[in-house]
Amino acid sequence: MTTPRFDELIHAPTRLSIVSLLAASDWAEFRFIRDELELSDSALSKQLSALEAAGYVEIRKAFAGKRPRTSARLTRAGHRAFEQHVAALREIVARSSPQLADFGAGPSPGIG
Amino acid sequence: MSEAQHRDNQLAGSTAGALAEIARRQGAVIDAALVPPWYWWAVAAAMIVIGAVADYRHPVVLAIGITAAVAVIAVLTVMMIAGSYRGVRVRSSALLGGYGAGLIVGFVWLVVGLTLGCGFGLRAIGAPAPATIATAAGGVALVIGGPVLMGRLRRLMMARRAGDVPAGTAR
Repeated sequence: MTTPRFDELIHAPTRLSIVSLLAASDWAEFRFIRDELELSDSALSKQLSALEAAGYVEIRKAFAGKRPRTSARLTRAGHRAFEQHVAALREIVARSSPQLADFGAGPSPGIG
Repeated sequence: MSEAQHRDNQLAGSTAGALAEIARRQGAVIDAALVPPWYWWAVAAAMIVIGAVADYRHPVVLAIGITAAVAVIAVLTVMMIAGSYRGVRVRSSALLGGYGAGLIVGFVWLVVGLTLGCGFGLRAIGAPAPATIATAAGGVALVIGGPVLMGRLRRLMMARRAGDVPAGTAR
């Protein structure tokens, strides 16, 4: 059972999108996250640094041939914080408006 | 509607929006991790090459054809599993679980069984080019069944993504 805990750091829109991507991944390359979220390199670096400083994200730098390749993954603490945050969001929705409780929780992601 | 109720509804709406954003982003990772339709066509074509060179029975053609086809299948499959061409690897252990892994293994066995069964059956009745026909049948199963399997796995992974269903309970 996940204990709901609203996380201000994760809830910021861009960081919520980044953490959501990483929560479904073992790892994701920098370019994948950047292209999915349509962010600039510097904007993404800034957000990843904030998440890394909080211990939620681990950044790995490696080389594929001669090209540097940066990837990111959620740490165990990051996964836990994300699951608690999702639980907190669901709790807010269920408490405020029961008819919206299933919104965003179903199998179709075609909203938002 | 009172001001407090209006505020509560606004909060619920923005929170539901955040949940929808989470679902959308996780769906994007899952979609990126699914095997694209061209993979099934490429593997089916490579299988048919193996069948055709087996029927041709020329040692040099057999050696080159089988080596090339197996290399194509192996490279493409490793790429799909590693996620190296997409830049992301889905949390398959958490999202697929034993049921998802069973679906994949079952599909592979179905295609292999169909191909070998067809091949040996056709050979037994003396049909011409049994290996080519058998691998073509296996290829058709791949091209039709592959996307169906991917659709099933997508639904499974979306149901098991973070916070939706406790791990191990989703089917």
